Amino acid sequence: MGRYFIRRVLYAIPALLVISFISFLLIQLPPGTFADTVAAEMMESASVNESAIRAIEERYGLNQPIMVQYWKWISGILLRGDFGESFIWNRPVAPLMWERLGLTLVLTASAFIFVCVVSVPIGIFSAVRQYSVGDYIATSLGFLGLAVPSFLFALILMYIGFRYFGTSIGGFFSPDFARAEWSWARVADLLSNLWMPMLAVGLAGTASLIRIVRANLLDELLKPYVAAARAKGLSELSLLLKYPVRLALIPFVATVGWMLPQLVSGATIVSVVMSLPTTGPMLLRSLLGQDMYLAASFIMMLSGLTVIGTLISDVLLALVDPRIRFT
Amino acid sequence: MPGGGGRDLLLEIKGLKTHFFTDEGVVKAVDGADFPIARGKTVCVVGESGCGKSVTARSILQIVDRPGRIVEGRILLHRESEEVVDLAAMAPTGKAIRAIRGKEIAMIFQEPMSSLSPVHTIGNQIVEMIRLHLPMTTEQARDRAAELLERVGIPQAGRRLDSYVFQLSGGMRQRAMIAMALSCRPNLLIADEPTTALDVTTEATILDLIKELQRDLNMTVMFITHDLGVVAEIADDVVVMYLGKVAETAAVDPIFHDPKHPYTRALHQSIPKFGDTQRGALEAIRGMVPHPFARPDGCTFHPRCESFMPGECDRVAPPAVVMESGTTVRCLLYGGSDGSGAVRDDAGGHAGTAGGEAGARAPGKGASGPRAADQGAAG
Ligand SMILES: Nc1ncnc2c1ncn2[C@@H]1O[C@H](COP(=O)(O)OP(=O)(O)OP(=O)(O)O)[C@@H](O)[C@H]1O
Ligand code: SF4
Ligand SMILES: [Mg+2]
Repeated sequence: MGRYFIRRVLYAIPALLVISFISFLLIQLPPGTFADTVAAEMMESASVNESAIRAIEERYGLNQPIMVQYWKWISGILLRGDFGESFIWNRPVAPLMWERLGLTLVLTASAFIFVCVVSVPIGIFSAVRQYSVGDYIATSLGFLGLAVPSFLFALILMYIGFRYFGTSIGGFFSPDFARAEWSWARVADLLSNLWMPMLAVGLAGTASLIRIVRANLLDELLKPYVAAARAKGLSELSLLLKYPVRLALIPFVATVGWMLPQLVSGATIVSVVMSLPTTGPMLLRSLLGQDMYLAASFIMMLSGLTVIGTLISDVLLALVDPRIRFT
Repeated sequence: MPGGGGRDLLLEIKGLKTHFFTDEGVVKAVDGADFPIARGKTVCVVGESGCGKSVTARSILQIVDRPGRIVEGRILLHRESEEVVDLAAMAPTGKAIRAIRGKEIAMIFQEPMSSLSPVHTIGNQIVEMIRLHLPMTTEQARDRAAELLERVGIPQAGRRLDSYVFQLSGGMRQRAMIAMALSCRPNLLIADEPTTALDVTTEATILDLIKELQRDLNMTVMFITHDLGVVAEIADDVVVMYLGKVAETAAVDPIFHDPKHPYTRALHQSIPKFGDTQRGALEAIRGMVPHPFARPDGCTFHPRCESFMPGECDRVAPPAVVMESGTTVRCLLYGGSDGSGAVRDDAGGHAGTAGGEAGARAPGKGASGPRAADQGAAG
């Protein structure tokens, strides 16, 4: 198990490097650079200051070959944790990104936990009581959850939250805490504001996970090992949880890896609607403004999440399924 | 003498009907099966694929998968204490039947690979079963599990406890399964084609093992198989099933030397010569097993029967007839079409009704009576 884990981590490193390069390449693809964006803005105000633009190009090395630019950027990250400067914000990328990324992860992780806690029991119930009233209700709610776009659900939640709970609309924090330093009170405030975006982000995931758990479990329930476990004299609930549920969750564990980025991108739309300071809106802005270091760093981190998610699911998979550990 | 009153019975299956309620229609997998199982004996249940052997076995433990369910009949378990309980009347998830499963009646399944959990160790699964029924600590149960594995011939038993199913060979898996089934010393062991998935050599050793264990533990065995070669080797009694009903029940000798039912005879003819115990041999009987939704009227075997009597066999459902030899047979050749013959049907009135109808429709078909008596004299 230990060796398996180390091997998987080692595999992840080249993947992350390739991702970093592709992210960098990707944001270079659209024609023009930040300097052109600045020039275009100057045109609008009717006076183009050539030397100012040259200065920008000089300062950020925008005229150098792409490999050189990439090397500067990645070595800064690896050696000094320096992700470069944001042109738009006129600040280093790192602190900007970490704050956003942290909040995004909090939102995503809580949504993910919510999805699991709700969907797994409902999915099990649905499968075990297939075609019962409860199954029909769960299945219909699941369809509804898949059909309702998350931004619409976010709007509905905001209305409900404002109307009946007096929750402030938009943002992770109440106005009092929005610009405050981190403190326990601020954490508490964050948590009290978190449930709405969490529900909005998690809804679609909940619906699809219910369906996945139900379908997988229905497959497992008729397998011979379930009848054999029953023939031992186990009670229905304990045999259910020990055997078929565990096997039904294996394919789900295998997909946790790509559910993570899915939740992150779901969070983008919800964040725009609820004006949450997550990565999504900031990434969008940086792409529009050709803010290349900020955009590249974000894209790299979010793609990196996929690799890390896959790593986590591979390790979990090896834990629940010995067949993987031994081959 | 199966069916004989004086015998010490362990289990009696009476008029058992287990049906599957599928979207396409009702599959009558077991449709009025009767047979006894004598204490301490080995009874083999034979018949072509799909005739309801496994469903009968699962019905005994009430572990029929949905959409199947026992709709009628009784399964009487005679305990040593003279107490008799009806397994068919118990709630499938209730405490009563759960206490019997694994403890009084244990089962070995057809495919050891898919019948053991792929993600738990062998030891875990055996220990679980032991601790469910016997007051033991995990340590004690582990020791016992290791003993059992050793008993069924698994080398390095102590270490094998921590193996997963995919780390064992087919023969070893089935041995582990047997060890598990025997772990609580059941009175009845149901073995559902335990050797079908194995090669011939392994099959032989597993059969020897079961025979040996049966003798040592004084266990009753219900052994389901396709293979008459296996029957000849291990059976005391034989139950021949066809389309969810029992065609013939007899001791092993008459089944081989004096088979009554045309279906039993056809089974014999379909065996390859020279004792070749090739699988799938039974498929060679003339005609095909009818579709589950299209069960023939009268005797369900009539479209394939060489002794088919038009006007009778396709109209009258044959009742059970007990021959002097002790053989019980459901075939109009031995009576029943005219209401005569030793009609014995514990399941209730329907056989009698059939006989009555036959009497009205086809009077004077007594010719089959003497013939039955002739052949029955052998016992
Ligand atoms: N889950 C199910 N749903 C619908 N029909 C079923 C189900 N299980 C079994 N049957 C039907 O019940 C009938 C008897 O099946 P069973 O498994 O008892 O046959 P069998 O005699 O054990 O055959 P084999 O020798 O192939 O194991 C078959 O016609 C089968 O199609
Ligand atoms: S009842 Fe008729 S069809 Fe059925 S087995 Fe006997 S002879 Fe054949
Ligand atoms: Mg079977």
